[in-house]
Amino acid sequence: MEGSGDKAREEFFSEAQEIIELLSRDLLALEGRMASGVIDPELVNNVFRSVHTLKGLSGLFGAHRMGALSHELESLLDALRLGKVDLSASVLDVLFRGIDLYGRILAVEKGVRTDPLADLDDYLVELARVGTKAPPKAETTLADYEIDPGVLAVLTEYEEHRLRSSLQQGLRLYRLRVVLKLMTIDEELESLKSRAKPLGEIITYLPTGQGADADSIELDILIVSSAAIDLLRSELGGPTAELTELPRRAAASPASAKANEPSGALSLVLDSIPPEPGAITPAPAPPPKPEVYAADAISLRSLAQTVRVDIRKLDRLMNIVGELAIVRNALSRLTERLREVAGSRELRVELHRLHRGFDRNLADMQSGILEVRMVPLGQLFDKLGRVVRQLSREAGKEVGLVITGGETEVDKLIVEELSDPLMHMMRNAIDHGIEPREARIERGKPQVGTIALNAFQKGSHVVIEIEDDGAGIDEKKLLQRAIERGVIDGQHASELGRREILNLVFVPGLSTRDEASELSGRGVGMDVVKTNIARLGGVIDIHSELAIGTRVTITLPITLAIISALIVQVTGRTFAIPVSSVLEAIRLEPSAAQRLEGREVMTLRGSTLPLCRLEELFGFVPRGAQQSGRQFVVVVGVGTRRLGFVVDELVGQQDVVIKPLGRSLRSVRGFAGATELGDQRVALVLDAPALLEEITGATDSSRAGAMMYG
Amino acid sequence: MADLVRRSGAAIARRLQSTDRGPLSEYLAFTLANDTYAVPIGIVREILKPPPLAEVPRAPREVLGVASVRGMLITVIDLRLRLRMSAAEPTRKSRILLVEGAEEELIGLLVDEVRQVYRLAEREIEPAADILGGQLADHVLGVGRPDGELVLLIDLRAVIDQLGSI
Repeated sequence: MEGSGDKAREEFFSEAQEIIELLSRDLLALEGRMASGVIDPELVNNVFRSVHTLKGLSGLFGAHRMGALSHELESLLDALRLGKVDLSASVLDVLFRGIDLYGRILAVEKGVRTDPLADLDDYLVELARVGTKAPPKAETTLADYEIDPGVLAVLTEYEEHRLRSSLQQGLRLYRLRVVLKLMTIDEELESLKSRAKPLGEIITYLPTGQGADADSIELDILIVSSAAIDLLRSELGGPTAELTELPRRAAASPASAKANEPSGALSLVLDSIPPEPGAITPAPAPPPKPEVYAADAISLRSLAQTVRVDIRKLDRLMNIVGELAIVRNALSRLTERLREVAGSRELRVELHRLHRGFDRNLADMQSGILEVRMVPLGQLFDKLGRVVRQLSREAGKEVGLVITGGETEVDKLIVEELSDPLMHMMRNAIDHGIEPREARIERGKPQVGTIALNAFQKGSHVVIEIEDDGAGIDEKKLLQRAIERGVIDGQHASELGRREILNLVFVPGLSTRDEASELSGRGVGMDVVKTNIARLGGVIDIHSELAIGTRVTITLPITLAIISALIVQVTGRTFAIPVSSVLEAIRLEPSAAQRLEGREVMTLRGSTLPLCRLEELFGFVPRGAQQSGRQFVVVVGVGTRRLGFVVDELVGQQDVVIKPLGRSLRSVRGFAGATELGDQRVALVLDAPALLEEITGATDSSRAGAMMYG
Repeated sequence: MADLVRRSGAAIARRLQSTDRGPLSEYLAFTLANDTYAVPIGIVREILKPPPLAEVPRAPREVLGVASVRGMLITVIDLRLRLRMSAAEPTRKSRILLVEGAEEELIGLLVDEVRQVYRLAEREIEPAADILGGQLADHVLGVGRPDGELVLLIDLRAVIDQLGSI
């Protein structure tokens, strides 16, 4: 690429990437519709426009290879949308390969890959061949219909094609005349479009040249539909909208059928319009049409309502919000201290009021920024759709992907981190899960395997489920392999519950596949998946039934950024415990702690609560004169498990910004990160679920836990 | 006037000649256990007085803790311990050298004292083995002798990159 500035290159890459993803989504949708025998012309048109945009973009940035590819693809797509080429499975294949090539070209341009891209030229040749292999189509003349030649003259080739093929299919042609206010024309047209889409296809929008007034515009919208006029009228009609049908002329005589110029034989169905200059009549000057298709203009504008933001800028903003939170806390402490100062009441009250205002605004800003960072999981799910398609082809299995809950939103960083784990699990599901066709038929299952991706919000968490109707996990084999590999002691094996056995999947290097699969390599890599999920503060669970299927459930916190935490002190050191893990905090009477099977426990409302003295766990020597004997227990819980952390002081509760610990500390267990408390003091944030697992895992009946994580 | 120009021109030329050591690189020198070490200045983002630290339980010995610098979290490492020297109590002169580690981690290296910036030409750096002989840690790149003082140049990059993989 020619030397454009670095920033411009970055923008080109990100914009190209976005368009390619959109392309991919549309092609997948197109394929999906084709499977039910429908070819959606709007999708074909969208794909055409995306490629067209990419062509322009490539030209602008001097990306020659991408430009050449786009040029050829555009020709093929143009032929497709004009009906010159039929959209078949093989043509679709060619298009998909084009997208892969786009991806590879981008990677090469970015310097990520060093492919020579030799097959690009071969592909371009093949592309050109497919595009011109068009069988001649029988043309029908639109002159059979009572459409004003003036109108036909302003239709583009594409619109004409759409009109012709719709009429050929026996659809009816309607004209909807609406008056729209210029101020709200965007929303009104969008609303109209969405109401019209299920009923038929909008061919074109034509200004009539007669506005009701300076604030409005009158449009004639040509629609083809199989519905009756009454239905259309009820859906689309209104006080400012008038719907009429443009019927086909009855048995036109050969003479007039041939005629293409205006003549008396043309009965002007459109004669409800007074023939005025500029109106739709066979006048020499057709009404001025916007240079860009009205539809395109509208949709381009709505595209511009989103803004692409570098996530590092958002991180900076979050940092600043965090700093402001610290200032707010300091402010409140100051207000407190002023109590000591006599005669300061008025000042204190004023300060308090300001503090409240500050707090409110800060909370709003905080949630505002957090919202900005949220992106719908659908982005990721769509990408997985392509992966599934590719992998299932490679594996020779037919797999259908069902996606629900794509609108569920999650912090952008989490989405990025989820990409690899989810792809891994798709690989597993396709490789190990879904059986080959014969096996499925034998089992009485549908030939096409199904993988379901579902996401939904549950409180302050997001749950993602990956379910397949495949072979399920063979627990016996898994257990056996674990024993063979020395992960489990043969004796303890019998003590393992189902859940513990299934969790063996997460042990590195364990795989029940006898040969290394070319897709997943040795082992299934689920240990890496589990680590990645844990890093995000989430948990992963597996349910499986032999021969029925497997479901993996991932639970994640919605955002990594600001959370509420309980501040505690242990031998003079300060720690923070996320409130989301804390069930309660109580005073510990010295006599309440007892020993049970070598561990310290206490009785809490009738149940036994294991205790953990943090000063012992962390290896602290008690600092300074201490032990007034008054201590506290912070009870944390995950699932049904409980643990009480023994601390010296409960300092309070406050919002903290968790900053992750650096790479050099990744061997340290039990911490979610660190946070600044104010005036440069730092406190480590406990990872309650991890500590819970570490401490109670060893005492569970599943000794496997100890062996895996010990 | 012309005489003045000629004379100062000559002086400059003389100075240039005597200091024509080739391209010079700048090194920041600091003290560790009474020895002087140096690193290329470009690698050091900042020099700080040690901020309040939070201990990290169960971390490797050389990790002194984490701290906050203008809202950014830094990991503080005792360079003495990292280079397998004995530990020592920080003094008033102790400083933190802030460098960037892997994955954008900010690492603060605690040193006994920060000295000065030396300019050394490449050919003035001698291979460490020649001077010090015997076995040396991989991180020593060479030895310089600015103003007659013995300065050990170390490969801080290598030292940092190995953190977390112990």
